[in-house]
Amino acid sequence: MSNYILPILFLFLILYCIYKKINTYDHFVKGAKGAIKLVVEIFPFIASILIAVALLRVSGITSFLVKIISPVFKLLGIPPQLCELIILRPFTGSGSYGILENIFSTYGADSYISRCASVIMGCSETIFYVATIYISQTKVKKLLYAIPVALFCSFVGTIIACLLCRVI
Amino acid sequence: MMLASILVLLVTNPSAMLSEMIGSSTQALDLCIELCAIYVIWLGFVELLDASGLSEKLAKLLRPLIKKIFKVDNSEIQKIIALNLSANMLGIGNASTPMGIRAMNALDDKSGKANFSMIMLIVINATSIQLLPTTIIGLRTSAGSQNPADIIIPTLIATICTTLLGIFLVHLIDKIKNKCKRRRK
Repeated sequence: MSNYILPILFLFLILYCIYKKINTYDHFVKGAKGAIKLVVEIFPFIASILIAVALLRVSGITSFLVKIISPVFKLLGIPPQLCELIILRPFTGSGSYGILENIFSTYGADSYISRCASVIMGCSETIFYVATIYISQTKVKKLLYAIPVALFCSFVGTIIACLLCRVI
Repeated sequence: MMLASILVLLVTNPSAMLSEMIGSSTQALDLCIELCAIYVIWLGFVELLDASGLSEKLAKLLRPLIKKIFKVDNSEIQKIIALNLSANMLGIGNASTPMGIRAMNALDDKSGKANFSMIMLIVINATSIQLLPTTIIGLRTSAGSQNPADIIIPTLIATICTTLLGIFLVHLIDKIKNKCKRRRK
């Protein structure tokens, strides 16, 4: 079903533009012009955050954190196998998809662990990445309580996800 | 974060540092090229939405909600936020990013600090309000799952919970802050 959503969306939009007698091509080109400029402006931010994540991982700090945090996670009903995914998820989208695929192949796509991991991925975002890119063109230097609140909510989501996968 | 990592690497594996850094910045460049291709399509799409007046209609539909949640009165900003949220809900996260950046620029009051609406936008985007986790279902299918779509309902419940919690917390913190300010006066 979901495969049809995007083509239908595009089709509908183009038909609507024709109905409204709008020059589709000219407007599409006008909008598309902004893409390169936007990417050039956000590139340094993406690069810095990816470099930081890579260093964090290769230095072994992540695996050290996993060791410390896993007993706490166990208490909250989160399987310790998901620690790495949960820790890296706020930082890297592609990285956490890599971990997700790893979990699938290790435990099987229909196991409890894999289903938990899927729901966690679905209800969370790469928080630091989103925050960095969103403020990259503004004058904002301080995000105040935005990041802690987002992290806390994601974490609550993780606990809910593990609970739900047990029931549903 | 970077400092700590480099310090640890100095002890454990000093030769890995530079190659790791170059590797990940190459990865960032790849990602940007990919993003550029995606943005071309979505920014063109949004321009068409704008020109046809559809984005105006969408914003009108979401206006009461946005006004209440974001406390924004400017209709132009409401429109951008409406586009950002709808792209998010459809699971086309890459389309929502350029709209998010545009909305943040419009909300910026140049004080160097994030204001209430900006924080709300970040929190809502960061808790992800995806209705259809298409990528994950795709990954599960290719991993040989018998029923790849059975995560939709738990994901939906979890994501609604986190988003509502986020909205509630941001409002709560804002209220407490305002009270403290009043007391000081």
